[in-house]
Amino acid sequence: MNRNNMPEKRTAIYFIDTTNENNYDIIDNSEIISYVQNKQLVAEIWRSGDIAMKDSEKMAGIIKNKNIQRIVIAGDSPGIHKSFFARAMKLAGNMAEDVVLAGFREHNIIKSSDIDFAKAIVYCAINNVDYIKATQPTTSSVNPETLIIGGGIAGVQASLEIADAGNKVYLVERTATIGGYMATFDKTFPTLDCAACILTPKMGEVGQHANIDMMTYSEVKNISGTPGNYKATILKKAKFVNPYTCIGCGTCSEKCPVKVKSEFDSGTTMRKSVYIPFPQAVPNKYVIDADTCTYILKQKCGVCAKVCPVPDCINYEEKDEEIEITVGNIIVATGYKPFDAARDERYGYGKYPNVLTSLEFERMVNASGSTGGNIYFRTQDKKGNWLLQPDGENPKSVALIHCVGSRDENFNKYCSKVCCMYSLKLAHLIVEKLPNTKVYEYYIDIRAFGKGYEEFYKRIDEEGVNIIRGRTAKVDEKDGKLHLRGEDIIGGNLIEQEIDMVVLAVGLEARDDAKKLADMLGISQSDDGWFVEADYISDPTATLNGGISIAGVCQGPKDIPDTVAQASATASRVIQSIMQGKINNNRKDISLSDIEQNILKLS
Amino acid sequence: MIERVDANLVTEFEKFGKSNWNDCFHCGNCTGACPLTEQHFLFPRKSYNEIQMGLKDSLASSIEPWLCYYCGDCSEKCPRDANPAETMMILRRYLTSVYDWTGLSKKFYTSHWWEYIAILFIGAIVTLLLGVINPNGIVTELNSNGGVKINEMFPVHWVHIGDTIMALTIGILLVSNLFRMWYFVILRDKSVKIPISAYIKGVKELAIHFATQKRFNKCDDKKYWGAHWILMTAYSTMLVIIIFFLPWFQTEDINAWYHPQRLFGYYATFGLFLGLIYFFIGRIKKERQMFKYSHLSDWLFIILLFLSTLTGILLHIFRLSGLAAETYYMYIIHMAILVPMLVIEVPFSKWSHLAYRPFTVYFSLLKKSALIKKNTKN
Repeated sequence: MNRNNMPEKRTAIYFIDTTNENNYDIIDNSEIISYVQNKQLVAEIWRSGDIAMKDSEKMAGIIKNKNIQRIVIAGDSPGIHKSFFARAMKLAGNMAEDVVLAGFREHNIIKSSDIDFAKAIVYCAINNVDYIKATQPTTSSVNPETLIIGGGIAGVQASLEIADAGNKVYLVERTATIGGYMATFDKTFPTLDCAACILTPKMGEVGQHANIDMMTYSEVKNISGTPGNYKATILKKAKFVNPYTCIGCGTCSEKCPVKVKSEFDSGTTMRKSVYIPFPQAVPNKYVIDADTCTYILKQKCGVCAKVCPVPDCINYEEKDEEIEITVGNIIVATGYKPFDAARDERYGYGKYPNVLTSLEFERMVNASGSTGGNIYFRTQDKKGNWLLQPDGENPKSVALIHCVGSRDENFNKYCSKVCCMYSLKLAHLIVEKLPNTKVYEYYIDIRAFGKGYEEFYKRIDEEGVNIIRGRTAKVDEKDGKLHLRGEDIIGGNLIEQEIDMVVLAVGLEARDDAKKLADMLGISQSDDGWFVEADYISDPTATLNGGISIAGVCQGPKDIPDTVAQASATASRVIQSIMQGKINNNRKDISLSDIEQNILKLS
Repeated sequence: MIERVDANLVTEFEKFGKSNWNDCFHCGNCTGACPLTEQHFLFPRKSYNEIQMGLKDSLASSIEPWLCYYCGDCSEKCPRDANPAETMMILRRYLTSVYDWTGLSKKFYTSHWWEYIAILFIGAIVTLLLGVINPNGIVTELNSNGGVKINEMFPVHWVHIGDTIMALTIGILLVSNLFRMWYFVILRDKSVKIPISAYIKGVKELAIHFATQKRFNKCDDKKYWGAHWILMTAYSTMLVIIIFFLPWFQTEDINAWYHPQRLFGYYATFGLFLGLIYFFIGRIKKERQMFKYSHLSDWLFIILLFLSTLTGILLHIFRLSGLAAETYYMYIIHMAILVPMLVIEVPFSKWSHLAYRPFTVYFSLLKKSALIKKNTKN
């Protein structure tokens, strides 16, 4: 075999064996070994015990002795071992690029039934052919209806594009309104456009679109079927308020005696048990929160039903309902959850009231948010809850700490990509609202990577914000004042600063139930929990499963423009399949022999 | 100042201990977390910069590693797992070898064999002197108290002359290394000028730090400071006795238990044992950050000290119970462990910190006051 006129490379395969004390149903490496050992190119097979991952010079000696030109690392999380082998390869005079990974868990290869998929992945790695190129899926006919999971900006954008092309869309959203996190933001970087001005018209359009069946307060329970013909079970949680007759007057909420922390305001304000998340919510219909409503829990109260001007609009007897729909394509746009700042004890979040997360601060600077756009200290209400309330004092100094929970071996190793820019944006908003307040940004590196971003950074710098290199190490409280300690790396100073307010730039994390959804759809997750795309560079919105696309942050941290772009990309993929009337089948279903032949053809 | 970059510094560094120098991405977390760092002396991050850039001269003149007492707060929360606390420890080994003009320190730190052979070699010389060349053999006759006539086997004035020569050698080596440290840290740094009056004023602090190691107390764990202080005072008591007062200490008469000779001896023995047990348990359990990584020099330090103490105790018991032959051999073994330990550890290896630590505090105070003065002038 002589691919691309390159000499064929003698290949060694290193298998990462997993201990299986509890006898789980896992992949048996010896089965893969018996498949690959007689294949061309395969010169050596090592297993976990055979190689001591310590001395790369010794390893280089082995590579030289056995005349190995390529190394395949096969198993779960092979990337961990890559640097060791790459170094050894370099020392032995080979190229580090010839260390090829064959990740199992990364491709959702978990159980023994995935063995053929595992063999295919290893075989592709031996020949250094992308799995995507070696697999050409067959096609099936497609149901023209589409399911979109998640009603954030990605879901909204994709819904509109597909629906505008004349196709039916089911948009499933877990909370009582669509809009997602973008609806909570005040401004967007780098243009400082008002987030709501961009989003709410789109939300309204979704709410009124004839082709969009919007299901808020609902969850996807189960998905079965094949590409082009999926069956989805949707759980519509009981709203207890009839959405067809509710006129959105708000009398029920006004009179409701139960107060709970508002999810929409990141817990900085109180909402009632019967509520709409925010005034511009779509649909603008009230729901009753069954976990806190005293009538539903203990049959006490019932005030909302009494004051409601529409007869029979409130029905406490309403039950959850499950419906089943059939769709051809599914777009996953489930987004993220912000890093829980209390996990990083250094900064005293949860202990000191005036250490806020960026999302809490975002709600405060938002003109329609907790304090009506004023920047105040957190204060206690009568019941002792620490809230952001619409009166109080302005802080004289605010510090923004970057990379909280990101780029940190103790939490998330990756960069969350958006925190630098939104922190700069928040700094701008503080300067704009409180010109006499000193603002400090403590960063590790400023990652202003996009169009107009570097200019935005420069602009904020010129606005007089103190941008200091050196992420703060800790925040303490002494005599009721916050104290911050860190290093000013460029200035060469130790920073021991008294500060009024600290804002933590929390990173993005995969949602807790992302795994559940991934299993339901048969798609894979990376080590960090993000959904895995078919090909990072050339096919970033598709998955290995036909008809299932991913858009937005659920695929990896990204900002709003990138999310919108991906949403449009998935929409175009869906529209393409509907227009052609056919859809790719799952790549996993392609037989091993077909893959081998494809690789031969590529050679 | 123009400084030459040494691209091989990292490779050279690796010989002194393992750590991932390149992992640090300079977020400053370690400096902020350190309870000991202060304006003008920022660490540990700054040292990472010097290592990564290969700034050999800057490293040689940095005293920051000696200001660190390894509480491990920096390593616990390091976002890159770069382990700054251990890097500071490795830097202290490296700096010891930089100050040492003989080059032996580097050999001992970077090669196991050098260290082992040196110990055996000096131990052999001691055995030769005491057991072969020494004209007096075992004297079985006991004195009136029933004790062994140790001074007839090993005449105390001869031993005293020997240990004075040893002490002078060690002292000269250590002082010359200390002088080199002063040259690197103070003299070569042209940015500050320190008047002689400042040196005199600082002596008091030097003495206090030498006696109490009070910087330790800024770290959170007070137990560690206590164990170290007991070990240090016990060790110093013994050192002073055997170097300056050997004729008073090595006697044939058995004194009453409350005689200062015995009381001092017992305190030293008790303190050494208590301290050593604490360090042994710590290094085996590896729970505290500072005990997680043990270099050969760390182990040899406590093992040799432990063996010296143990043989010392046995020697004492044998002498009191009139076991002449046992006393004779134990004396030789005791000396064959004690002498190489002092000769190797004090000027060249881990024990040199007894001089570098307090002098670092002294130098840092001098530098700081000079820098503050300079800044206020500007």
